[in-house]
Amino acid sequence: MTGQAFFVLTALADGPRHGYGIVGEVAELSQGRVKLKIGGLYGVLDRLAAEGLIEPDREEAHDGRLRRYYRLTRDGRAALAEEAELRAATARVVRVRLGLAGAEAAG
Amino acid sequence: MNGNSGNNGNLERRYRRVMRLLPGYYREQWEEDMITAFLDGWLTGDPETDEYITTEAWPGWAEVTSVIGLAARLYLGGAGTPRRYFAWGQAVRRAVLAAVLVHAVLGLGVLVQTAWNRRLFGLPPPPAILWAASPGGVWFTVFYVVNAVWIMIFLALVLGHYRTARILAVLAVVPGLVASVQAQLTGSMPAPFASWAFWVPLTLVPVLALAAFHRDSPPAARWPWLLALPPGYVLVYGTLLALQATGNVAWVPDFPGQCCLLVALACLAHAPRAWSRRAAGSGAWSLALALLAAVTAVYRIASLTAYPNDPHLIAVGLAELLILGTAVTLVAPDAARAQAATPSPPPAPHPIAA
Repeated sequence: MTGQAFFVLTALADGPRHGYGIVGEVAELSQGRVKLKIGGLYGVLDRLAAEGLIEPDREEAHDGRLRRYYRLTRDGRAALAEEAELRAATARVVRVRLGLAGAEAAG
Repeated sequence: MNGNSGNNGNLERRYRRVMRLLPGYYREQWEEDMITAFLDGWLTGDPETDEYITTEAWPGWAEVTSVIGLAARLYLGGAGTPRRYFAWGQAVRRAVLAAVLVHAVLGLGVLVQTAWNRRLFGLPPPPAILWAASPGGVWFTVFYVVNAVWIMIFLALVLGHYRTARILAVLAVVPGLVASVQAQLTGSMPAPFASWAFWVPLTLVPVLALAAFHRDSPPAARWPWLLALPPGYVLVYGTLLALQATGNVAWVPDFPGQCCLLVALACLAHAPRAWSRRAAGSGAWSLALALLAAVTAVYRIASLTAYPNDPHLIAVGLAELLILGTAVTLVAPDAARAQAATPSPPPAPHPIAA
């Protein structure tokens, strides 16, 4: 799973969001490091939809335009949990190897 | 999402123009949603400010580039794209692999020649026909590095390390560009377009076409491509040696001519498969050969500008083009069938819940 896909799934973890809502949430989650452009966002969304990890939730009118909301599917939730676990395990190893885990526990 | 009642003036119109880069099937499914998300990023909710923005603002370069990237991925399709775009994707990937294979064979030739010159094989010096024209000065080292890099790019592509291949491609492209610019400025090349004639179609175009190798593209058939490198070397350099040994070296065409004959041979070899109705999936190969033939023809025509006062070489060049053109007509119908195949629908998102 790419970093962008991971962030997009994470942005949808606590509820459905529309396209630009996902862009904003990803920027916030990544502390501004990941700034999705629309072409990039939909490149990720169409892949995740094709893989059955997300699906459209509803459409809402806003200023005369329709916003489509997306939500995680059951498979998407499982894939995200698995990826988060993998990344957390890797992060734990990194912290141990850098000698940060002991210092943190002592602190 | 169908239809959009919002009126967001020039900005929306400008973004829709950018969206035209995307294939129709994709726009049908995602365009309105993308435009809504795009405008959400601009509009403030203040009518006066929004009026100004929608009239004066343009989509930024980063935004346009992201759509171009998406378009490249969709047109040069991988898994899950309509058959037509998948065929184009496969054709471009195979054509790129073939072009990079040629570079790798040449690179291998330079490395073998260097080792041979230094008596690493315990043999007498290599025959003159195997000597590559090696430049002097600072370009000497660069020349050998670039040749080795092409072998690494080939291996990276075949083994699926696309990012590595793209990074290495910069190393392969930039020296050729700098050398050509330098030659252009100093006028040291025998003909002004000779270097560009090689660099643009045979280096720049394949490197740009590396965009066809993305996450969705299926892996290349690893072993056939890897095993093609040694026979490729033997085919090119073995033929040269054989022609010299038999005293027929005058028959060796220049490099553009060799490329024309190689592609023509490949078309002839593929023709029985292209004409067989049972050979499913041959269309992508036919399309790849047609693309290679087009690039080779451009290379041949551009390189003819090096012989403006030599009617004999021009006649030979035109004969090579004729051979290439005749050979490619054998696979052209199959290539046309492949790219005109009825698009099959891509995997669609689940229907919207009520």
